[in-house]
Amino acid sequence: MKHDIQLMVNGDSYSLAIDPSRTLNQVLREDLNLTGTKLGCGSGDCGACTVIVDGRSVSSCLTLAVEVDGKEILTVEGLAPSGEKLHPIQEAFIEKGAIQCGFCTPGMELSAYHLLSQNPTPSEQEIREGLSGNLCRCTGYNKIVEAISVSADRMNRKPSKRKSR
Amino acid sequence: MNNYSVIGKDIPRVDGREKATGAAIYTDDIKLPGMLHGKLLRSPVPHARIRSIDVSKARRLPGVKCVITGEDTPKIKYGNWRLFPATQDEYPLAVDKVRFIGDEIAAVAAVDPDTAAEALELIVVDYEELPPVFDVLASVRKNASIIHETSPSNISVDRKIAYGDIKKGFAESDYVREDIFTVHPVSPAYLEPCSSLAQCDQDGRITLWTSTQTPYIVQCLLASTMGMRENDIRVIKPNVGGGFGGKMELRPWEFCAAFMAKLTGKPVKFTLTREEELTTGRRRHPMRLKSKVGFKKDGTLMAKDLHIYLDGGAYNAMGPTATFLCGNFGAMLYRYPNYRFIGQHVYTNKPPASAMRGFGAPQSLFAAESQMNMAAEELGIDPIDLRIKNAMVTGDTIPDVATISSCGFIESLEAVREMSNWKRNRKKNKKGYGIGIGCYSFISGGVFNWFNTQYPFSAAEVKVFSDGTAHLLTMASDIGQGANTVLKQILAEELGLKMEDIRLTAADTAMTPQADLGTWGSRVTLMAGNAIKDAARQIKDVLFGAVSSHFDLNVIFDLECKAGRIQATGKPERGMAFGEAVAMVQKTNRGIPVTAKGYYTPRGKGLVTPAFSFGAQVAEVDVDQETGVVQVKKMYTAHDCGTVINPMAVEGQLEGSIHMGLGYALSEELVMKDGKTLSNTFLDYKLPTAMDMPPGESVSIETYEPEGPMGAKEAGEGLASPTAPAIAEAVYNATGYRCKDLPITPEKILKK
Amino acid sequence: MKRSGFDYYAPESISEAVVLLSDLGENTFVMAGGTDLLIRKRHGMIFPDAVVALKKIKGLDRISVGPKKGLVIGATALLADVAAHKGIQNKYPAISDAAKNTANVQIRNMGTVVGNLCNASPSADNAPALLALGATLSIAGPQGDRTLALEDFFLGPGLTALKPAEIVIAATVPPPPANSGAAYVHLSARGKVDCSAVCIGAHIELQGRKVNNARLFVGACAPIPMRTPRAEKTVMRKVFTEKLAEKAGAAASEEALPITDVRATQDYRNSMVAVMTKRALLLAHKRARS
Repeated sequence: MKHDIQLMVNGDSYSLAIDPSRTLNQVLREDLNLTGTKLGCGSGDCGACTVIVDGRSVSSCLTLAVEVDGKEILTVEGLAPSGEKLHPIQEAFIEKGAIQCGFCTPGMELSAYHLLSQNPTPSEQEIREGLSGNLCRCTGYNKIVEAISVSADRMNRKPSKRKSR
Repeated sequence: MNNYSVIGKDIPRVDGREKATGAAIYTDDIKLPGMLHGKLLRSPVPHARIRSIDVSKARRLPGVKCVITGEDTPKIKYGNWRLFPATQDEYPLAVDKVRFIGDEIAAVAAVDPDTAAEALELIVVDYEELPPVFDVLASVRKNASIIHETSPSNISVDRKIAYGDIKKGFAESDYVREDIFTVHPVSPAYLEPCSSLAQCDQDGRITLWTSTQTPYIVQCLLASTMGMRENDIRVIKPNVGGGFGGKMELRPWEFCAAFMAKLTGKPVKFTLTREEELTTGRRRHPMRLKSKVGFKKDGTLMAKDLHIYLDGGAYNAMGPTATFLCGNFGAMLYRYPNYRFIGQHVYTNKPPASAMRGFGAPQSLFAAESQMNMAAEELGIDPIDLRIKNAMVTGDTIPDVATISSCGFIESLEAVREMSNWKRNRKKNKKGYGIGIGCYSFISGGVFNWFNTQYPFSAAEVKVFSDGTAHLLTMASDIGQGANTVLKQILAEELGLKMEDIRLTAADTAMTPQADLGTWGSRVTLMAGNAIKDAARQIKDVLFGAVSSHFDLNVIFDLECKAGRIQATGKPERGMAFGEAVAMVQKTNRGIPVTAKGYYTPRGKGLVTPAFSFGAQVAEVDVDQETGVVQVKKMYTAHDCGTVINPMAVEGQLEGSIHMGLGYALSEELVMKDGKTLSNTFLDYKLPTAMDMPPGESVSIETYEPEGPMGAKEAGEGLASPTAPAIAEAVYNATGYRCKDLPITPEKILKK
Repeated sequence: MKRSGFDYYAPESISEAVVLLSDLGENTFVMAGGTDLLIRKRHGMIFPDAVVALKKIKGLDRISVGPKKGLVIGATALLADVAAHKGIQNKYPAISDAAKNTANVQIRNMGTVVGNLCNASPSADNAPALLALGATLSIAGPQGDRTLALEDFFLGPGLTALKPAEIVIAATVPPPPANSGAAYVHLSARGKVDCSAVCIGAHIELQGRKVNNARLFVGACAPIPMRTPRAEKTVMRKVFTEKLAEKAGAAASEEALPITDVRATQDYRNSMVAVMTKRALLLAHKRARS
């Protein structure tokens, strides 16, 4: 039996009738065409599918869409909603060489977003712990850690410019 | 001499923004109207004859649109080594026999993935099981079960490299040692699982979007296995989420997507699961390496005798190349006056091994570098001193195989010695602390035409416009390493344009010039870069001629492309804007566009590569004495990759290599039991995480490679090799445990 | 075989949940965070006909630390919240350590401590610490509510003492006695983020310098998280020293019944039980003294 759900994704509201076994990852990618959220393993080990639900980072591959009915979801497409000015995390990722193949990037950025929302001034060790659920095969992580550290500094310098969602 | 404006700069990736915003399209992101979803039925047994396959129930399941087995296909074998058809041993779907757990037997296309998966369970296969072999030594034994009738010995490829007189070399040695090393299978573990989507137009032509490193190879082999003409197949490479060697062949799902698209008239997409990737996907060759080396008392290398069994799994894949390269790398780094290598590629009933970052070098250099460290200890010579004493230098040769045209190896060794405070830290007596060294050399693309292409190895088309922009078309494939950025940099530098002035169309076999052999063996910067330089030179010839004529310049004047202008060198006033010059040339040719095609094929460069990179790496570790758990504290790297085109990109490659080397040394292993891969998720196939990755220091040793564009050569792939032997030596230095069978596990350390 | 699709129920009260579980067929699964359930479904280990989700039940995610009742962790309290809870970090650091060491950030933002127990995985990170601290489970079911010692809960891999239609509502840990300390330590042999090859929960009470009570549990080394009574006996009524902790470790190692799997071999696990038990005791002792 299909369930009617209401999702608030990147500020847009969607009414959907879905089979309860469908994951949030499937609904985002297949129904809403938000393909920025990737699927790397399907079992919560790689973090490529990470999205933010009500302020927390979760694996969208292990989240039933029906369970996030009525909740606020942020995907990589929502990080820079205007389409012009990028989020400081995105800017730093580009600038610092934290991106190679790019498949882990959306998940990495959202894990960074979650981390910085909980801890705006993380130490290097805390950044590394914050990325413990995100695998990257290309970069060796060090440039990603640097990018997050740089974006934290920048976000702290101008706290009024960007409100956390 | 270096007054480049774009080369040598930390240019951010040209695709950074689309990747940072999630806008970058990967194959599985593409959806076409009416698209069907494909799934593959794989063999649950390691070795069997197929008596029969019954697909009738699967075909009847509502939602299923197409089911095929090997019997429905043209039954044409394929393999990358087209030059030697006997090595082409694979069918897209099994015909008569299955040879490993995971061998593809049948394919289903249905309205959704769940229906396709359900249909797979309705296919009934009757197997006559055959005795399997899982181990190279068992496989080469007399009376072992034969895996391919064409190779009754189970040895599919034999390669030999020999020069000098090893008998004499050993006889004249004061110190000889022989060791056997074994290395384990690991997964490329690119984050993007393989995905392919095929569409068939009304004329029967195929368009295939696929996650590949080699669109041209896929185009050709797909054509031959489908019994079609090459020009009727168009392969497009969207963004690719990493490859590392694992995506450089035609794969069954590419064939099935295309074949079923043709049968059904609907687009068909296959996307593998991570479990499929890990349990059946291509992997780095496990090897058994027997190595004997001889030295004089003073450390002078006298001879080496190397025998390697490559555990190829069920099919050749890129095994023939790996077989040759592991022997080539056995002879690299040092001057072996007498050398013999015999490599044998052995079939076993396991998932096929193939190319993976380093292509035979990580295995071979683990053995060679570990043995070097052992010999240094027994000879009482510092490992770095011993290396410097025997190190290759520019101009050295491997007879009949290769010439070293640029080499910064000694400089690399000296640099890591300095950076790591080697002399002091080797003597450090802290419990659990250790420091060790490993080195590497690698190729900048291959010169041996195993694919038997009739095209140049790389090609580029450059179009320039009166608005001061250029369009670069190349079949070269960016799979995440940053080729698109580096190739644009090379053209921007050549034409004096800005990065944003260049439009790039890449890796579409119907749109970009024939051909490019793809991304493997660190060939792209050198080969595609040279093709771009060739095209740019032709453009410049035309523009320079026009500008020279316009300003009535003396013929002895040099001209240059600089800051968007074409001018007499150093005289901006005697020149014009780039676009103006283009317009002028067009006018004189009655409107004909200004374009050029450039090509590169290495010639007269021996059997291996036009250019070798070199480098050295030092690892510092802390070993928990009670648990045996190794923590790598820091890595120091010095590497010679010729001219560095993009330092930030090179550093990214370097750090990625250390990550992969760290996994190879300590945590990654495809654990096998009776032909079955047990490590089927990332929970149990352990990639190092951000918490495991050590900090590093690195330095580039600048040499100038005469064959490379702007003097550049390989960067980043070869670095997959030194990390494991460096860590192994550091662990030995810390604990006395000498690893001769990777990976290094806490248990092995405690048991020493 | 049914591959896809299941019915989904999200009751808003415990009694409603129990009624649903009684009414629905046997192939119904209770879901808290879902992180384990969906993986098992993916790997074809289960094919649920129905799922009863607990997250809509108000108050079930509570975490409370009180002087009398001790620590109560509701069935849907997230691992991340237990790990970050200041009261738990202060009074029950072994429990926050265990929660913090479970899986990765995202899984901790979805999964629950009680769910980790109910899956009854031999290597469940949260079990040894809670066992060492003498946790009990509050269970609701068609026959009414009951309380069960966590020690009596695990029956085998994936098997618990829950009867049909029963639900664990909360785990309760009594207030720590005076002069006591507890610790959770684990060994990830293949990197910092790894399934524990061995994990230990230890709890000791001191009387002066002597050990007055000890509870030691080992995870990932038997079909269920197991108690090591001989190791406990080794330290009882003795003056605590590092040597003594080492002896207890050796005893625990003899008691443990590990197997070889992809993550570690039997031999290695056996010797690591000794090392980790020692380390857990040392940390518990340190905490008991401060």
